[in-house]
Amino acid sequence: MSTVITPILRNALSQAHWDEAAELLRSSDGIAAAAALDELPFEQQQLLFRHLPLDLAALMLPHFPYYDQYVLLHSRSKEEMRAIVDLMSPDARLHFLDELPEEAWQRLMDELSGAEPAQVSEPPGALPKVERPAEPQPEKAREPIIEARQVEKSYAQPDGNQIQIIAPLDLTVDSETICALLGPSGSGKSTLLRILSGLIPPSQGTLLWHGQPLDHTGANVGIVFQSFALFPWLTVLENVEVPLAARGLEHAVRHREALDALAVVGLKGFENAYPKELSGGMKQRVGFARALAVKPEVLFMDEPFSALDVLTAENLRGELMGLWTKNQIPTKSIFLVTHNIEEAVLLADRIVVLGAHPATIRADFYISLPQPRDRKSAEFLVYVDYIYKVMTQPEQKLGPFTKLPSLRKPSFQILPHATAGGMAGLLEFLDDRGGKEDLYHLADELLMEVDDLFPIVDAAVLLGFADSAQGDVRITVSGKQFATADIVARKKLFRKAVLSSVTLIQQIRNALERKSDRAVPLEFFRDILDEHLPEEEAQRQIETVLNWGRYAEIFTYDSASDRLLLDEPSGNASSPERIPLH
Amino acid sequence: MLEPLDRTASRALPWGIVPARATSLARELPIVLGGIGLFYSLLAFARYWSGPVGAEAAISLRATALPKYALFSVLRIAIAYVFSFLFTLVYGYAAASSPKAEQLMIPLLDTLQSIPVLSFLPGVMISMVALFPSRQLGVELGSILLIFTGQVWNMAFSFYASLKSIPVEMREAAQAYRLNWWQRFWKLELPWSAIGLIWNSMMSVAGGWFFLMACEMFVLGNRDFRLPGLGSYLQTAANAGDTRAIVLGLITMIGVIVVIDQVVWRPVIAWAEKFKFEQVGSATLPSSPVLTFLRSSKLVPLVMQSLLFPLRERLNLHFARERETSSAHVSKRTRVWVLRLAAVVVLGGIAYAMVKMFAILAAVSSGELQHIVWGAGATFVRVQAVLFLAALWAVPVGVLVGLRPRLSAVAQPIAQIAASVPATALFPIILLGLVRAGGGLGIGSILLLLLGTQWYVLFNVIAGATAIPADLKEVCTVYQLSSAERWRRLFLPAIFPYLITGLVTASGGAWNASIVAEYVRFRGQTISTTGLGAIISQATDAGNFRLLLTATVVMVVTVVIMNRLVWRRLYALATTKFRLEC
Repeated sequence: MSTVITPILRNALSQAHWDEAAELLRSSDGIAAAAALDELPFEQQQLLFRHLPLDLAALMLPHFPYYDQYVLLHSRSKEEMRAIVDLMSPDARLHFLDELPEEAWQRLMDELSGAEPAQVSEPPGALPKVERPAEPQPEKAREPIIEARQVEKSYAQPDGNQIQIIAPLDLTVDSETICALLGPSGSGKSTLLRILSGLIPPSQGTLLWHGQPLDHTGANVGIVFQSFALFPWLTVLENVEVPLAARGLEHAVRHREALDALAVVGLKGFENAYPKELSGGMKQRVGFARALAVKPEVLFMDEPFSALDVLTAENLRGELMGLWTKNQIPTKSIFLVTHNIEEAVLLADRIVVLGAHPATIRADFYISLPQPRDRKSAEFLVYVDYIYKVMTQPEQKLGPFTKLPSLRKPSFQILPHATAGGMAGLLEFLDDRGGKEDLYHLADELLMEVDDLFPIVDAAVLLGFADSAQGDVRITVSGKQFATADIVARKKLFRKAVLSSVTLIQQIRNALERKSDRAVPLEFFRDILDEHLPEEEAQRQIETVLNWGRYAEIFTYDSASDRLLLDEPSGNASSPERIPLH
Repeated sequence: MLEPLDRTASRALPWGIVPARATSLARELPIVLGGIGLFYSLLAFARYWSGPVGAEAAISLRATALPKYALFSVLRIAIAYVFSFLFTLVYGYAAASSPKAEQLMIPLLDTLQSIPVLSFLPGVMISMVALFPSRQLGVELGSILLIFTGQVWNMAFSFYASLKSIPVEMREAAQAYRLNWWQRFWKLELPWSAIGLIWNSMMSVAGGWFFLMACEMFVLGNRDFRLPGLGSYLQTAANAGDTRAIVLGLITMIGVIVVIDQVVWRPVIAWAEKFKFEQVGSATLPSSPVLTFLRSSKLVPLVMQSLLFPLRERLNLHFARERETSSAHVSKRTRVWVLRLAAVVVLGGIAYAMVKMFAILAAVSSGELQHIVWGAGATFVRVQAVLFLAALWAVPVGVLVGLRPRLSAVAQPIAQIAASVPATALFPIILLGLVRAGGGLGIGSILLLLLGTQWYVLFNVIAGATAIPADLKEVCTVYQLSSAERWRRLFLPAIFPYLITGLVTASGGAWNASIVAEYVRFRGQTISTTGLGAIISQATDAGNFRLLLTATVVMVVTVVIMNRLVWRRLYALATTKFRLEC
């Protein structure tokens, strides 16, 4: 049915016949209308919504994911907002408000009740909020440049075992889009970037550029690396000239184009400096200039701001966005890999969230905020909060428009890489904060990157010290006990928790107790891990297990003989917390 | 770096920058004269080469002959070095780029490295003389190849190791920006390997001087080979017991080595500073007056400008366009086949040689075998004694020097000059003393080996002591550790990795040097002692191929087994437990 009305709808939109489109939606039933809406490009959905009559807007709104609902609502005037929320069905309204993070909810309540929104989060003297223009920016035509079809990547272990890093997935990189790829560390983000850019071939599946497989010269891409990857023995200018020389450009042409690229990133005057004379931010500017010099169709960036300090990174992001929005850089699309959620929401038009072991697409959605974006705005927080939810709760059903692939349960328990000390710190902090906190608040206040925070939260959840739901972390009863206990009691609690929920530590303890000499070579367990995991991950698992097992005084480890030894707690050899194993 | 002038203007008028004033012409004079001198010496060498065999068999002991001999020796070492360099590039590149070839080539390199120079002699000489039977060229090439076998292996290994250690992101940048192999080699691989290659080149050339006497004058069966050079001069002087000539030759050799150090190595090291892969510039940079002179010269940029840069540009454009247009698939397939064919030929040749070798080895009598095993035992004990003695004096002295920056500033240059004198050149003088004191070569050879190899230990220990962090020294002061405790708890563990590195190098060097230390011709007679090196030298002199081969195989097997069983394990321990990092 949707196939019938979609072309008509599209036609009406292309001629800006909003009334006609509205009539069309009104005349069809809700499900068909939602489906038709779904088939439209994202910008057109938004454009259409902004022109719908209020009652129809209230009807259509619940078909959008809650974060889009929030932004779409704010694209209307305050009176219209109130009217639309009033006209929504009670169920839909409740559902929508329920999903919102606290600040965003509070803000919306203030706006709906007519009170002035609280200005706490805005610095004094900030510019008054400018009314958003009724029309969004002229619509850009998005066309796929790269299409990855069922690409997957696996590596062969030395013993012939195949380890899958990326499960088969489809992904397109479109023109006129900044696409950010988010995911926990070790989720294969960088590998996916390298497959899309043609640096490494996928193990299975096809990669198409403009519908064609890549030929031997490779794609015309620029890549900005986390470590800059500049040649230290070449000057700034020579570094930028290298890719141009590889394309067989004459000296004079090369020289001119390199200087142009340097001018764009503000490095004029530094042509003859060597990279080691420059600060990190300046080096990354050279990286950008080198990437832009080849006029790439797609600019790939692999954690480009991660090696820089906070202020430098912020400055560089701002300049990059300035160049992009003013069309001053010769690239049609930007593909960014990052682990920084705020960075993704700040820069990207579209965000793809990956899950790990192996990588799958957990979420793929557009951000409907105009540039430049305000980190402190409620809309911004709604998106950040949403991504935290996606990343912490893979199984959750996320809004009607987000398709979640069925997740394959890993056959093997993978421990989050966190230390006992880190968990203790988190639990104490939570306890101080009344036992519950938003994840993005936590990251913000602890000044931690998600990559560092998530493993600690996951570990606390695994051990039953905390719960995490809806992007919040909540301390449990045993977590509270742990947070307030002294060191001896803490170790006892930790021991109990670890023995009841960590399979590998249970196995180690079992093996140790069965041996007469109370010792087992670590190599034995390393082999088991190596069968299931890539080498570095296996190594990290070993480190985590050693850290937890030693802290819990379950075993000690002798690095000289590479053996685990049973740690008999003095006094109570037959410890009461001994868990029967299955 | 030699700063290029404005390159766009250069093509029109290269003569515009020719020095106009006489003063600057005078400054250029050394360079011009140097060029003419080089040209003449090559001419003289070529004329001598094409002369008939044996024309200059007699080595004159007159002082006036020394400059010519020195020149010939330098040229020989230089040509051998050029061969070594080319071989290094090909071998290292092949081993690093093909995992299959790597499995074969790296252990092979390890084996070849432990074969003493003289063991190559019969094969090299017989084939070269057979190639050019009536010209001096054959014998000369043989001598050059001998020097080559003494210097090439560590260079090849260094280049291979450097190539393997190029950071992934740098490689990816080269791939993403489509660098062709030519450009990748000049912009990434060679600069990255430059520092390692330079230091190993210095070591290799020092090795060339060390074995010069053995390489310029030797007996092979019934033929007596003497090539005009410093090595044969010293050897002849020793044979004749002419103390004055020995001293003169020694002074000339030290002079030549010091001049080469100042004119070649110091400038190269100072120039190579830019190839250091570091993120920030360091405070103190090596400097060289010669390099400063060359940099301020106008002649050098002129040559670069009018010859090298245009050439480089053309080559670059050629390779870039070739890559952009060629169909890589065809050439890749043919290349694979060529490689396979080459591999079959090489493997076939090796297999054939193995069969022949076993046939010869099978014919070794039990008496000979006993002789060899006895000799191997003696040399083994001797080498261990040398290592022990070297460590005994070098550890305390090295630590004392390394801990005192001011002392080390004075001591380092002196030690470097002392180390640069090839111990073989000192042998005659030491032998004179030994003979007068009535000692035999049994003890004397230990002294000779020690002279050759102790420097590796000393320099490494100094480097290790310099690297001890100041806070660890302060800890010792704060907790009032006694001097013995300091050595046990800090100094010895801290220098352990460096000491092992030094001992590994010294051990390899000592085994190799045993061929010249255990068997010496002096005052018309041959002095030798029980040992594997003596057996090899004797077998070469007598033309006993079977004995030579067997003794060489025993030496290689012993060295390789020692490396695997002892040194590699100690090295692993050094890089894990005793690595200074927190």
